Amino acid sequence: MKVSEKRKKNCSPSCCTDRDNVVYLRERSIAMLKKDLILRNPLRILGTEDKEPLKEGEFGAVLAKAGVGKTAFLVQLALSNLLRERNVLHVSLTQPVRKVCLWYEEVFHNISTEYDLKNTSELWDTILPHRFIMTFNVDDFSVAKLEERLNDLTEQGIFFPQLVIIDGLPISDESRESLAELKILAREMGFPIWYAITVRPDDALEPGQVPSSVESLADLFEVLIGLKAVKGKINVMVLKGQRNEDAGDVFLDPATLLIKNRE
Amino acid sequence: MKKDPQKVRNIGISAHIDAGKTTLTERILYYTDRIHAIHDVKGKDGVGATMDFMELEKERGITITSAATYCEWNGHEINIIDTPGHVDFTIEVERALRVLDGGVLVLCSVGGVQSQSITVDRQMARYKVPCIAFVNKCDRSGANPFKVVEQLKEKLHHNAVAMQIPIGLENDFKGVVDLIKMKAVYFEGQQGEKLRYDEIPAELKEEAEQRREELIDAASMFSEELMEAALEGEIPEQLLIDAIRIGTLKRELTPVFMGSAYKNKGVQPLLDAVTWYLPHPGEVENIALDLDNDEKEVVLKPDPEAPLVSLAFKLEEGRYGQLTYIRVYQGTLRKGDFIVNSRTGKKVKVGRVVRMHANQMEDIEEIPAGYIGALFGIDCASGDTFTSPGIRYSMTSMHVPEPVISLAIVPEDNKSQQNMSKALSRFAKEDPTFRVRVDHETGDTIISGMGELHLEVYIERMKREYNAIVHTGAPQVAYRETITQKADFNYTHKKQTGGAGQYGRVAGYMEPFDGEFEFVNKIVGGAIPTEFISSVEKGFRSALDKGLLLGFPVTGIRVVINDGQAHSVDSSDTAFQAAARGAFKEGFKKAKPAILEPIMKVAVETPSEFQGAVMGTLNQRRGMILGAQDEGDTCVIEAEVPLSEMFGYSTDLRSITQGKAQFTMEFSCYRQVPKAIADELVKKAQEKNKKAA
Repeated sequence: MKVSEKRKKNCSPSCCTDRDNVVYLRERSIAMLKKDLILRNPLRILGTEDKEPLKEGEFGAVLAKAGVGKTAFLVQLALSNLLRERNVLHVSLTQPVRKVCLWYEEVFHNISTEYDLKNTSELWDTILPHRFIMTFNVDDFSVAKLEERLNDLTEQGIFFPQLVIIDGLPISDESRESLAELKILAREMGFPIWYAITVRPDDALEPGQVPSSVESLADLFEVLIGLKAVKGKINVMVLKGQRNEDAGDVFLDPATLLIKNRE
Repeated sequence: MKKDPQKVRNIGISAHIDAGKTTLTERILYYTDRIHAIHDVKGKDGVGATMDFMELEKERGITITSAATYCEWNGHEINIIDTPGHVDFTIEVERALRVLDGGVLVLCSVGGVQSQSITVDRQMARYKVPCIAFVNKCDRSGANPFKVVEQLKEKLHHNAVAMQIPIGLENDFKGVVDLIKMKAVYFEGQQGEKLRYDEIPAELKEEAEQRREELIDAASMFSEELMEAALEGEIPEQLLIDAIRIGTLKRELTPVFMGSAYKNKGVQPLLDAVTWYLPHPGEVENIALDLDNDEKEVVLKPDPEAPLVSLAFKLEEGRYGQLTYIRVYQGTLRKGDFIVNSRTGKKVKVGRVVRMHANQMEDIEEIPAGYIGALFGIDCASGDTFTSPGIRYSMTSMHVPEPVISLAIVPEDNKSQQNMSKALSRFAKEDPTFRVRVDHETGDTIISGMGELHLEVYIERMKREYNAIVHTGAPQVAYRETITQKADFNYTHKKQTGGAGQYGRVAGYMEPFDGEFEFVNKIVGGAIPTEFISSVEKGFRSALDKGLLLGFPVTGIRVVINDGQAHSVDSSDTAFQAAARGAFKEGFKKAKPAILEPIMKVAVETPSEFQGAVMGTLNQRRGMILGAQDEGDTCVIEAEVPLSEMFGYSTDLRSITQGKAQFTMEFSCYRQVPKAIADELVKKAQEKNKKAA
């Protein structure tokens, strides 16, 4: 058997073409990289290596006190979706576009360093078209405004979000109405939404328990994940939703804010 | 020339286009008695502002060349570099910042922090230039200086703090309240030259108290003494000024001043601020590289008696020969001295030394450390370092971006041809981002630069200053070619047609590479004799100049040679170079070559109602929209768009937004062209070649 035939036999059909019998090494290595990163899906704690934990119109939230790593967690969640070529709309109400971009670059860089990945610039180029960042001043934000912007994008065929992340939305007992409107929007447009929610400093975060900050709104959320700093580590725990026991202990590395499994 | 370096300020005035920096500079020169009449940028008197001395600048109302000028205020000597606001001229801004010790960031009180302000701010941060801000145009309708202060905090992450509050706004703008003196300042006299201090108007008292509190809070972070004084309730004026100065020099505090240069209000307090808060040359650490000591970093001493180290940061070809703007970092540059160009090692004698005031000059004897001046008759390139004989220092090299756009130009007649050559050689020397070459196949002269406007301005300058009329072709994007996979080559160059023969065989492989080019020799057993290895490398390098797809330079390639053959008689340097070129062609075709195109980072600032339409235009132009930033009435859309799709964008944008949107773009990276477009480009290139043949 010729070398080229052997190579062809050993790789997936997507990276070879019958036309010229050429093995596209770059494409193959990107495919492998993606697979590698998808396996490190931050949501493996929910037992969702191959399927989404949230369906269209459903809500998930990451809860923590200020500065614990909610944005980093959500950015990792977004990246794992981007790698699967799912379109992610990141809405930030507290940071400008440039800063949100920096978050993605930083987390992506940390992942590449952590796993010693090569050729990352190409991989970055392939995932970028699947991301869209929108920022609003928190005081000016309204569901109607978001809907208008989304229509601008979808009607012109510019971007169709498959997952939405909303960072910085103040959540209180009065938020029910706007959350309900968002739920309708999410259902109509067909995407789930993940939120970052800052809990009160006195709020206790314990596995399986909904903290008092969001108790009155808990019925709107299908999944709640808590981040809690304990002895130099940030524990990731499921507060609401099905936990995957096989995932073991999951935590955020406080230096890189990357999600890891306890050794 | 006075020589108290502590009383010297080298400052730059940077801003978004149309924020009014040239008008501000004009007023500064007027109040410091350098000029005796005020001309406006787009003035009715047809004279134009003093700093915009090029005809073209006067016509377009924009500043292109950063002319250096000098003035005096309260016993301080201030050197001002007026910088261009358009992003295409960024190299000018970057160069100016390299030699400055402090900056004044001019912002429009209506437009606020616009996209170009962000670019300029980034550049200031790169060169660690401390700055103060001036919110101009407070007399305009819609003026809101405190919104601008907030934007400085939010968008540029400055710890911005208001030093004044306006008395009235828009048409009612009368003056400012000085929060340090706690006095109202009015600008009287025909040209606002008389300052009248008065009590703060009653309706502003409360706000002034509150803003002063904020100012003291911010400043006390830099002075314990001030903090203690604040607790006791008695704050000496100088203590507050000193604390603000410390914060400003550390780039941890940005004092914000307000006014309207056009209406002659607020300029004198800004000049005071320049002398109070911005650093003198001795307070800025400047580093040179010692070329005799493995480029070790050396901190320069702003001592006029030490050996000379100076940087030629700008060249201009004038009627009397080449004028070289120079900043002296250490030692003194005297008329008649011998100085050495560190790059070339050439020793030159200093002839005329002058101090520039826009397009006028005054002869001086010397330029001491910390000062900026200009020399006549020195042949050098922009960015060269001059030192005393005996030391070989080089100032840190300046960041020069590669040009991204080219244009073929053809002179109209013989006279234009001669003038064009003169103009081009001058422009290329003055501006490192402007390049000139001749296409050997078509015979066309090709000019390259950083954007459409950049090249347009040079074409205009050729016409106006050199009387060279040129016709231009369609702008051509600077594509690159690369390979996307590994491929082997094994090529034999054999020629025996009488006379000495030529023979060389080169074998190995090429593969994608993250840098520009790498040549690896893995020949064992002398398959190619050692003396011909460099010939092989030379052959490959020469082949990189022209890719096989479109004829653009090839990058991102590693060539490894591992076998070959030589002939004892027929092998030569020429034969192996030819063999390498053949091998390159063979490998390149097999390595799935691709075309790369320059991608620009585009930021469009538009009223919110046009957001959808603007995104549509960017999308149509193969743009990838990174994000949309909603800011109330306006929004900023950031996108990455191929340069080839950006031609004529300003016209399109104007028409869909009724002229209310503006955009900036700068080079971001090279990215692979989509296959369908690449095929089209190759087809066109082939047709062109056929026609040429």
